[in-house]
Amino acid sequence: MSTISPKIQNQINMLQQMQQQMQTIGSQKAQYEMAVREAKRASEELNDVSDDAAVFMSVGTVMMQKKKDAVLKNLEEKVETLGLRIKSLEKQETMLQGKFEQLQAQVKQSLEGKPPSAA
Amino acid sequence: MVNNVEKVDPRELQSLQLYLNEYRQQAEIFSQQLAILEEGRMEAAAAIEAMKGLLEAGESTILLQLGGGASVPVRVDNPEKILVNIGAEVVVERSNEEAVEFMKDRITEMEASSKKVAETLERVRAQMMEIGRRLEMGYQQAQMAQMAHAGPVPAPESDEE
Repeated sequence: MSTISPKIQNQINMLQQMQQQMQTIGSQKAQYEMAVREAKRASEELNDVSDDAAVFMSVGTVMMQKKKDAVLKNLEEKVETLGLRIKSLEKQETMLQGKFEQLQAQVKQSLEGKPPSAA
Repeated sequence: MVNNVEKVDPRELQSLQLYLNEYRQQAEIFSQQLAILEEGRMEAAAAIEAMKGLLEAGESTILLQLGGGASVPVRVDNPEKILVNIGAEVVVERSNEEAVEFMKDRITEMEASSKKVAETLERVRAQMMEIGRRLEMGYQQAQMAQMAHAGPVPAPESDEE
């Protein structure tokens, strides 16, 4: 097997690190997206119940009885906050993806023995 | 990917091995998801049975599990009212009938998700098979090249002498 120069090896290591970072961001984003879906669904379910129905919400370690409107408002805020976090993660993801593709192209060129094009 | 095993090189074999490992991990995750969905489906089905049973019994005494095999007798005054966790850490009171419908909907959704996951798992397994086949061919090719390089192999001694 042909040997890989330390420079290319270093770049490959960086690629692997970037891939791991992207995976972490991706799984975090997926978790937030799931939480948004859950909150939206909970809101839909709540809209179906009568206004005087007993509604409980987790507050610290206990489930506290709250008014339906208060819980709906809380869920809306939750969706909003999570949406902002998702957008921020998407930005990070796009930036990292760009860097990854750039470095990947460099490594590919190096492995094929061509001089890397000026960035 | 290797299109022609005649031209397979060690780097391609290594890359195929990496793909195979990656797919193996994915298959493991999908299998776990399937198990979780099945567990959820069973739990929801058991909840439906319990709610229907409570409604049939009217006022009744049940055992509230405390964990570790310990339980306390609890009097169910009104089995018509059920508290349902609707997600996002919110619990809401529904009628017994509504709660049963809620659980049935959940089961339907979980079954649909299970179907999708099972299909994806099937695709991943097919890809694993294909990569495994290519790897096997690649290794055989490499072995044959090595043997050709080492010269003719002496014929194995016959046992029937």
